[in-house]
Amino acid sequence: MEKLLEKAKQVCDKAEVFSLGHFNHAVSFEDAKLHDIDSKIQSGVSLRIIKDGKLGFAYTRNLIDRDELIHNALDSLKGGVAAEYTFPLTKEIPRLDTYNPIIDKISGTAMVAECRRVCDILSSKTNGEIIMGTSVDIENIRIINSEGTDVSSRKGYYSAVGYIGYPGSGGGLWRLYLSRKFEEFPSTILDELIEFYNKSSKAVEPKGGRMKVIFMPNCMETINWRLLSGTSSKSVYEKSTPIADKSGEKILSEKITFSNNPLDDAVPGARAFDDEGVACRNFNVIENGVLKSFFYDLEYAKKLRAEPTGHGYRTSMWGGDPMTLKPRPSMLHVRFKPGDKSLKQLIESIDRGIIIEGALGAHSGNIPNGDYSIGTSPGLYVENGEIVGRIKDAMVSGNVYETLRDVIDVGDTLYTYYWGGHLPPILCDNVNVATKN
Amino acid sequence: MFEKLRKILGKIDADYADIRHEVKKVTEIIFNGQELSQIGSNSTDGYVIRILHNGGMSTVAFTKESDADMAIAKAMESARLISQNIEKPVRLAESEPVKETFIPKLNEDPRDISIDEKLELLRKYNNIPLSNEKIVTTAIKYYDVIRERHFINSEGSEIREDLITTAVTGEITGKDGNLLQNVRVRAGGSNGFATVRNQEENLEKQTSIVLDLLKAKPVEGGTYDCIMNQGLTGVFTHEAFGHFSEADIIESLPAMREKMKIGEKLGSDVVNIIDDATLPEQLGFYKYDDEGVAVRPVQLMKEGVLTGRLHSRRTAAKLGEPISGHCVAEDFRFPPIIRMGTIYMEPGPHSFDDLLTQLGDGIYVLEQKGGQTAGENFTFGAQYGYMIKGGKIKQMVRDINVSGNLFKALQDTVAVGNDLILSTVGGCGKGQTNIRSCHGGPHILVKNVVVGGV
Repeated sequence: MEKLLEKAKQVCDKAEVFSLGHFNHAVSFEDAKLHDIDSKIQSGVSLRIIKDGKLGFAYTRNLIDRDELIHNALDSLKGGVAAEYTFPLTKEIPRLDTYNPIIDKISGTAMVAECRRVCDILSSKTNGEIIMGTSVDIENIRIINSEGTDVSSRKGYYSAVGYIGYPGSGGGLWRLYLSRKFEEFPSTILDELIEFYNKSSKAVEPKGGRMKVIFMPNCMETINWRLLSGTSSKSVYEKSTPIADKSGEKILSEKITFSNNPLDDAVPGARAFDDEGVACRNFNVIENGVLKSFFYDLEYAKKLRAEPTGHGYRTSMWGGDPMTLKPRPSMLHVRFKPGDKSLKQLIESIDRGIIIEGALGAHSGNIPNGDYSIGTSPGLYVENGEIVGRIKDAMVSGNVYETLRDVIDVGDTLYTYYWGGHLPPILCDNVNVATKN
Repeated sequence: MFEKLRKILGKIDADYADIRHEVKKVTEIIFNGQELSQIGSNSTDGYVIRILHNGGMSTVAFTKESDADMAIAKAMESARLISQNIEKPVRLAESEPVKETFIPKLNEDPRDISIDEKLELLRKYNNIPLSNEKIVTTAIKYYDVIRERHFINSEGSEIREDLITTAVTGEITGKDGNLLQNVRVRAGGSNGFATVRNQEENLEKQTSIVLDLLKAKPVEGGTYDCIMNQGLTGVFTHEAFGHFSEADIIESLPAMREKMKIGEKLGSDVVNIIDDATLPEQLGFYKYDDEGVAVRPVQLMKEGVLTGRLHSRRTAAKLGEPISGHCVAEDFRFPPIIRMGTIYMEPGPHSFDDLLTQLGDGIYVLEQKGGQTAGENFTFGAQYGYMIKGGKIKQMVRDINVSGNLFKALQDTVAVGNDLILSTVGGCGKGQTNIRSCHGGPHILVKNVVVGGV
């Protein structure tokens, strides 16, 4: 990497080398039986250069020929992508506990045994179709740049996903558990999964209309993608957010505090620096319903004359291959401040409503405007404080900026969520539900 | 390359093994609004090894040739662990070994077009929407992806096939007051750079749709009879039905496998669905899948009766059905999984006017805006629509998402048009992204569709 940086510096004004190594080992059980064990051992290097105010970008999986990579980056300068920013000098970053060496020792045999244990529990307590997976991921990132930054991180985590399918429907309920070391799937999470499945095994077809809705963490991309689109500096710059001029204003219920917590290393996936080497920090984006801040990478911070907030990540809406993606404003470590009601209390407070355990089509519709219109996959129907079944053929729709003004309560339990999130259930009122009745 | 792969294969002591090596060359140009935000060409490569030993099958993907020994050891260890813990040993259905190099013929090879020419073409397209003051931004991307695949297996197959995909894709966003509306742009295909030329009218049409949407009212949620246009019929066929034709989706769902038995009557008499990736010049075209099996047309549904399924060699053996050549990977980072190739609802007898008359009152919904399926339930967005009264097209409506149940929707498809169109840009995300996922159909009339408003 150092040799590549030195060579690149000789032909441009600024340079940055990003390297990523990723190891993954995954075990999956389907229909409660062992199905696959697969591995990945992958790495790559990405180069950004700035010359005469223009950006060059190139990447490779095998750094065999440094000159070719630099040549590709120089070639891309011809297009004239403006780069008014410079790379940061980041000297001090917080030390985070993101890697426990014990994770290297997790054996395939132990992962198979854990899958079998959970499958046995779920099979013995439900009549559902069981899918279970465990996975170990170890990721090394290093960024060096011409300003003198040299930051690196090693992140390791174990994940387990348990799923119970409603026979004959293909749909079902699932829970995710993440840890920095191998641990048994907590029984509290499995108990909730089993209880919800058993209470919702009957399909029901209630009338539609406006009702109370609990957005569970498993459907939270419905809300997150729209709030993240609205609070991204890229959207502000492109005038594609309806809240660009609402800074300091109350835009949501005071019960909503939406924050960015990359330094929270109690949850796997914490980051001390972003994919541009900018130091990360925790802050509230929306605090008690008031819009406090947008989030910025280097490029859009410069364009909007703001400070970068450590949100330049090499990702896309669906993840993507980090090596091949340029950093863009992205917020990976999403939190909602928990409330003080348990999920049980939230459900008991519903006269008629739905618990959304999964959203179909969260990625469609008019995301910049905050509109959503999702199929429930599944939606658990609640009457008089009790789950009475799973709702058939329902769509839940609205606009997040309106739905989140009508928040009754936020749950007190945070669920681990993919992409570094840690989220509670949110109970909203007057949400539009369309059904066939 | 074959020699290098033979050497690696020679190190594997197993009942069966295959190796795929790919060089993936990508050229991308992206405009965000007026600003060029990315341009360049890059090449990456990597390997995928699959091992079957004593009934246990495992995969390892790796990017450095120097990691090959470690990768083989890991895959062998996993295959042994599976064989010790599996009830029924994995078998692969028979497939004739093939030795062939297949380089597709293109109408203009994107590798022969300079990046400057690609840039100027995209800039010209991007300027079309941006010339209107109500268009606040665009995100328009050109890409060409060249996958140079080499595949060998221990049965003697040695296949080189290139997959070359070219596309212009993106979104146009308009704003009026606080209302934002966006519409997708799509052009491209598998047969060369010519598929992205002459798209000016396409861009003009999509721009005018955004401007009209800024004046349109949101659709009111409820249950409607709908005419879907060809783009939506395609996504309906793909999302609602197609994924359940993929044997790896249903193999481990016993109750669904029972429902989806070959010979079951699942749809109305007018529904005929086929997957035919052998259709030349279509986005979904390929000759061999990533197991080295020649792809073949599969009649999936005939007059509403389930007649076929898409398979890998493993699922074909497990379910005792014919191999089909549908085991495909996104690239060298992934093991192959079962994917649709070119799936479409076959055209029927009706003109569009016939369908309008038959509909009477309802909604005409057009063009997809993302779709998703979970089990028997599906949801997809429509870019725009029109209310239909008495068989006549009335006002435009916006913010349309439709949702339904696979089995009900197939039965509620009551009339099929005669105007088949196939998609030109793909992006199915079943764990991996398939940019060659091709689907289509004619206009169709579906009863009782749940439409979510805003």
